[in-house]
Amino acid sequence: MATEESKSTILQGTLDLMVLTTLNSMGPLHGYGIARRIEQVSEDAIALNQGTIYAALLRLQQKHWISSSWGNSEHNRRAKFYAITATGRKHLESEAREWDRMASVMGKLLAAGRG
Amino acid sequence: MRDRLFTVLSRVRGLFGRRRADEEFDTEIAQHLDLLTEEYVRRGLSPEDARLAARRSFGGIAQAQETQRELRGVPLVDTLWADVRYAFRTLRNAPGFTLVAVLTLALGIGVNTTLFSAFNAVALKPLPVADPGNVVRLERWFEPAMNGTIQYAFSYPEYLYFRDRSAAFAGTVASSWPLRVQGENEEFLAQTVSGNYFATLGIRAVLGRTFLPEEDSAPGAHPVVVLSHAFWERRYHQDPLVLGRTLMLNGSAFTIIGVAPENSPGTAVTPQPIDMWAPIAMQTELAPGSNWRDDPNYRQFILLARLAPAADGKRAQAEAGVLMRQFTASHRESDKTIALTLQRPTYLGNTEDIRFLMAVAALMLVVGLVWLIACANLANMLLARAAARQREIAVRLALGAGRGRIVRQLLTESTVLALLGGTAGLLLSGWCAKLLWLQIEETVLGRTTGAMGISLAPDLRVFGYTLLLALATGVIFGLSPALQFTKADLTTALKQEGATFGARLSRSRFRSLLVAGQVAASTLLLVTAGLLIRGMLRSRDVRPGFDASVYVLSADFARDTKKGAAIEQLVRDRLRSLPEVRGVAIGGVPMTGTWTPPVYAGGASARTLASYASPGYLSTLGIPLLRGRDFTALESQRGDPLAIVSKRTAEVLWPNSDPIGKRLQLDLHFDGALKEFAVIGVAADVRFANLSRVDPLHAYLNYDGSRLDPLLVKASPGALGAIRNEAATAALTRPQNVYASSLQDGPLRMQRVFARMFAQFAALLAILAITLAGIGIYGVMAYLVSRRVKEIGVLMALGADAGDVLRTVILQGLRPVIVGSVLGFAGAGALSAVLHSTLSFPGSSDLLYGLPWWDPVTFLGITLLLAAIAALASAVPARRALRVDPMVALRWE
Repeated sequence: MATEESKSTILQGTLDLMVLTTLNSMGPLHGYGIARRIEQVSEDAIALNQGTIYAALLRLQQKHWISSSWGNSEHNRRAKFYAITATGRKHLESEAREWDRMASVMGKLLAAGRG
Repeated sequence: MRDRLFTVLSRVRGLFGRRRADEEFDTEIAQHLDLLTEEYVRRGLSPEDARLAARRSFGGIAQAQETQRELRGVPLVDTLWADVRYAFRTLRNAPGFTLVAVLTLALGIGVNTTLFSAFNAVALKPLPVADPGNVVRLERWFEPAMNGTIQYAFSYPEYLYFRDRSAAFAGTVASSWPLRVQGENEEFLAQTVSGNYFATLGIRAVLGRTFLPEEDSAPGAHPVVVLSHAFWERRYHQDPLVLGRTLMLNGSAFTIIGVAPENSPGTAVTPQPIDMWAPIAMQTELAPGSNWRDDPNYRQFILLARLAPAADGKRAQAEAGVLMRQFTASHRESDKTIALTLQRPTYLGNTEDIRFLMAVAALMLVVGLVWLIACANLANMLLARAAARQREIAVRLALGAGRGRIVRQLLTESTVLALLGGTAGLLLSGWCAKLLWLQIEETVLGRTTGAMGISLAPDLRVFGYTLLLALATGVIFGLSPALQFTKADLTTALKQEGATFGARLSRSRFRSLLVAGQVAASTLLLVTAGLLIRGMLRSRDVRPGFDASVYVLSADFARDTKKGAAIEQLVRDRLRSLPEVRGVAIGGVPMTGTWTPPVYAGGASARTLASYASPGYLSTLGIPLLRGRDFTALESQRGDPLAIVSKRTAEVLWPNSDPIGKRLQLDLHFDGALKEFAVIGVAADVRFANLSRVDPLHAYLNYDGSRLDPLLVKASPGALGAIRNEAATAALTRPQNVYASSLQDGPLRMQRVFARMFAQFAALLAILAITLAGIGIYGVMAYLVSRRVKEIGVLMALGADAGDVLRTVILQGLRPVIVGSVLGFAGAGALSAVLHSTLSFPGSSDLLYGLPWWDPVTFLGITLLLAAIAALASAVPARRALRVDPMVALRWE
């Protein structure tokens, strides 16, 4: 899926986490807003097929980690807004801890390898 | 795994309203693209380019939609839905096949559903009262724990005790056993009920009102009745002005205050067409000469209770048990109550009785056979159809369809068929159950009243049962054809089907197996029906050996057995003086139940029928005394241990010597305590236990005046009025309290009616079975012929004549029929022999009425019938085989 030179593809399963953390920090957003935010934060380092975000949103909804409702966007257009739920937040916390742990282990290992 | 659960739930929810979800998602995508386009415009692209860039950045729209859809629903269900639609399409394209298959299954499933509906109506459905889940029927257990209607009998003081003390019951109601009451010129069946009866059960009058509590307080104060709907229809033609009219019952005027709704069965535990209800306080008027209200041992009432809102069944049960113990401790019980249980009130009582359940299971087994035959037909037809679709299946396999996928689709098809069949069967059973019930009413009552208050309408249980049966049919009998035909190796199948000689041997063997099974099952049913019909025919001409015109007189002489017996003897002596009476005696009534204690004489031991007989009993019943003498009045008074035995009994117990003066010992109470009797006479053999056979052993014991056996009176029908009057005068009661019916109208008629009903039922099932099996045989023959057109062509080209061809085809077709019928005959013979062996017990009845268990007429007749049907079923396909033109057949490629 690597279409453009230096952009990384998304690791399997990490998109869900990105969406969760985005919703956690930004509050309710519509699909476009989430995609946009992820691209901005990653400073366009991630090539996001924006359509794929909706699969993640549906998956997360089915797990009751996020909820959705129709509302009006900034331009007063009807849009579907997504918000993180309490269980979603809990899940995000444990998942984030896991990521930190993995990252630090990976960092140490790589550093040792270089050293 | 809560997340999992949520996912599954929302996916299931996603199965519905998918169009809306699709539309919503489309809007969402459109929004997204708009926003994205605006963003690109802001970055300086032209609107056109911006839109394209937005598209690129979004990725495949169709893919996103597809992913959504997949995630949203349950894939299995989605394909199932597609399969179902496909199944309907293919079935519509083969209307003939579909029609025959559905009709076949409708018959097979319909018969089973009918039986289940009947069982459901009498044993599972709650009574039609308001909120039936909270209503219980009180059931007591006497020592020794025995089943019977006696378990539902409670006395009025017991009722009051429960009503006033139970906290778990919100209301307790009592209803008496049905009473015959005398109208102006006809008899009615009335039931006395407690004043709260209708209100507590939530039965509302369709006209007028039901009882007020105060109407059941002061004895005799409120002569009011509520009519049953059927009675209102029958006698008043639903006249709404019936309210306020009076009805003379036993000479007292009763005011009609209301009409109960239809299907208001009363709460008796045996079906009775109740005409009207009256308050218990009116008991003296309706059942004069007795007092039900004060004696704790006078058990006249059935009790039902509505549980209090807070009470659960277990607590209510425990409390009722305690109350029962407390009450029984307060007085001497005539029979000891050992336990009290609460049960769901259903149309019949004692439905948990193992004997009842066994009878139902036996019937289920029989109709289950019919179902199996229908299923075998379905499997056969599916096989033939799958064979015809071999190429279609092979193509799909070749194009990469998974085998599991195709099996699933074929299974869906057979299940759809089975469900259609089940639906038709359900409709069919609706009629059948009604017909069956009318037949039963007619049999039991001698008329159809519609007053038995049963509701045969199918409920959830019936739907569930039919659904399960249909699903089982579709899956079990569709599986084998589906598996067989997806196994096919592609190259052979893709080539023209008929090109392969003698291939798929295993497949035709499977079909033969099905036919053999079908034929075996229908032979079994046919032989059974044949035997029963032969028995029924004999039952019409069989003479019981005693005088069946004799009347049985019964009345409620007194509560106390001793007092009652004394009054009864008084009545007997008074009747003897009437000139119209040609004989009167007290003793056992033929065909009303058996008592078979073990008997020991000399070295021999056996079980014998036994009954009591007063002096003159044998001559009253017209049973010849072959040797010895009758009991004398003095011997009866003293209660001497004497017996008269039947001729066969004498032959069994004393084969080589004179029975007179011999002694025999009886274990009267089945407890090992033997009582010795001296034989003083030998009576002719009769059919006492039942009409079906001469009693193997029978001992008439000297009646000692301590028992309440019925009175038997020999007189002409015209004398009946005088006899009832005289008996009533002697017993100080009213003539309408003395019941009289002759043996031939009572027990004898019932015996014949049951023989007829059995035979009809069996014949119906057998006809059904043989029809279905005939269709099956036809199907196989037709299949065989069509498969072998080419082979037949070769045979003919090589010079075989019509006879050879016919022989080949028919022999192969008939082999499973022969195997099946041999098996069926063996099974029927075994069944008949087993039933016959139960005759060693003196009380059991012989359904064949004395025919040997291998009755040659039946077995030979059924063989011929089967042969004829098999020949008929194979004639058409065989003719088609004969018409095969070798030239055409060989080119049939």
